[in-house]
Amino acid sequence: MTESGPAVRPLPGDLAIAAAIAGLDREPIRVLVIDVEEGMREGLRRILERRGCMVCTAADGESALRLLADSPCEVALVPLSMPGMEGSALTEQIIRRFGGRTVVVITSARASVEAAVEVTRQGAFDFLVRPSSPQNLICVVERAAQQGRMVREREKYLSELAGERNLSKQMINSMHEGVVVLNIRREPVLMNPRAEHFLGTHFRDGMSLPDLFPDLDTAAAIEAVIDSAPDRPECRILQLSGSQRRLQGSISPLLRDGEAGGAIVVLSDVTENWKAEQDKNMFVSMVAHELKSPLSAIINYLNVILTGMFDDNPAKVREMLERCKVRGEALLDLVRDLLYINSREVGKVERTIEPLDLKLVIASQVEFFKVQADKRRICMRLEAPEGPCMVKADRGDLDRVFMNLISNGIKYNRDKGSLTVRISEAGPAWEIAVVDTGVGMSDAEQAGIFQEFYRVKNHKTSGITGTGLGLATVRRVLAGYSGRAVVQSRPDAGSTFTVTFPRES
Amino acid sequence: MARILIVDDDTDLLEGQRLFLEKHGYTVQTALTIEDGLARARESAPDMIIADLMMEHYDSGFVFCKKVRELPGLEKVPIVMQTAAPRKMGFTFDTGASSGREWMKVDEMLTKPVPLEHLLGKIEQYLSSKARHD
Repeated sequence: MTESGPAVRPLPGDLAIAAAIAGLDREPIRVLVIDVEEGMREGLRRILERRGCMVCTAADGESALRLLADSPCEVALVPLSMPGMEGSALTEQIIRRFGGRTVVVITSARASVEAAVEVTRQGAFDFLVRPSSPQNLICVVERAAQQGRMVREREKYLSELAGERNLSKQMINSMHEGVVVLNIRREPVLMNPRAEHFLGTHFRDGMSLPDLFPDLDTAAAIEAVIDSAPDRPECRILQLSGSQRRLQGSISPLLRDGEAGGAIVVLSDVTENWKAEQDKNMFVSMVAHELKSPLSAIINYLNVILTGMFDDNPAKVREMLERCKVRGEALLDLVRDLLYINSREVGKVERTIEPLDLKLVIASQVEFFKVQADKRRICMRLEAPEGPCMVKADRGDLDRVFMNLISNGIKYNRDKGSLTVRISEAGPAWEIAVVDTGVGMSDAEQAGIFQEFYRVKNHKTSGITGTGLGLATVRRVLAGYSGRAVVQSRPDAGSTFTVTFPRES
Repeated sequence: MARILIVDDDTDLLEGQRLFLEKHGYTVQTALTIEDGLARARESAPDMIIADLMMEHYDSGFVFCKKVRELPGLEKVPIVMQTAAPRKMGFTFDTGASSGREWMKVDEMLTKPVPLEHLLGKIEQYLSSKARHD
């Protein structure tokens, strides 16, 4: 735990001591002079007060203790021997009761090393031999006061440090990232709960590096960081697989007094990003495939024509050129759809949400496709309840949904078939069913119908061009309106695509 | 005359390749699905097969090749796969590497669009080496 604390605010001991020494110049030192002789007490008081100290006096041990309890003094001058309570007993009491704030200096006329050692052992800070020069007295008192202030600063610092350590621990444990600390022997010494969750294991003593990171690349990276030169510390970032997750590990060296001391591994969950990236790669691959297929067909036809092998059969050449045109146009549709999907994704499509009558929107789409339907003698109908069918939506979005559904209804229909668009109320929503009498689909074929680039491929659909993006776009658009799209279909009987939009009264 | 079976879900691609190869004297059969392709392979035992990789599913071609190899007499028929899929498609195999080809039981992997002359050259190459072995 200790080595994992973040760099706490810079309050090292040196600074605290410097502050304490500086404080001596500003604040007067409070001194308690204890002596049975009044002359001696007053003599000391005069010298000390002349040097800016605040002095109080006591004639014996009991009154000294009472005084210290009422008004804290930084330094107590305690005679080694006095009537009543002995100097050593008083020292012991002062240290025990006021040790945090009062420093004891023993005064004695008997200058013996044994006595000095004895009182120091009891906790006195210094020993003053009397009679002493005023300079010597002041020097000893100031040194004692300085010592007291240093002790107090140190205690304050330690208690702050303990508080900060507790804070660091709480911070590390509440982090969204996983944290693992390893010592220089590659042993995990700390793991926060998040890391345990990510790695699917609990911290216990005696764990080894491979216990936590079985993946060789990760273990090697951690070792490299631990072994990197402290003057040129190395950091590594890599991706690894966690327990059902994709993690990013950021490994930094742990330095102790500038020496290599281990490594800190911070793990973040990048599963979502990773999945999105995989999807994007897949999408790009699919796009490449979908772009190349029509181009391959077109180039094939053109090459056949250019060989001149059908120069004697202009009808066949024309047929091939017609197909080139159809496939070229489909390719253009694909590019358009891709650009539309992309601009939707990046939010570049300006949308105006307004009250719209579904009946009018769909009627104009039906009108638009009339020429195409007539060519194949497909009869189109729009069935709707009386009065307007209001929704709140963007006109472009609605057009795109119904354009795709009606276009499919014609493309996958049979000649002389019918296409019915039926609007009906379904609770809080409008339900719009687009019913065709076309080739239909088996259950297996319906499975991925709303996925990008999915196209039903069989003999019946082989000549029909499409981008594989129409229904995927329908699904995406509807998702923005909490609407949904479903399909019901039987081979050779036709398909019914039903979409819902929330009703606007 | 040598019989070629082409399996691809793109009618236009099939048509272009069929017209071209027929003009060069081959008997060409085409199939749009792997079921149809297998039926034709079983009936007519082609001298060579050209198959697409991504048809109904991204690995349809692979499934097709595996099943063809299980048909009597077709264990060693040359199979050339043509695909518009990029080399590395997020599949677990690299369509360009020989290990991938072996695993997929195909003799060669061509990237679409395959120039017709190139396809013709490949067919001639495989048929002549097959003739030497037979």
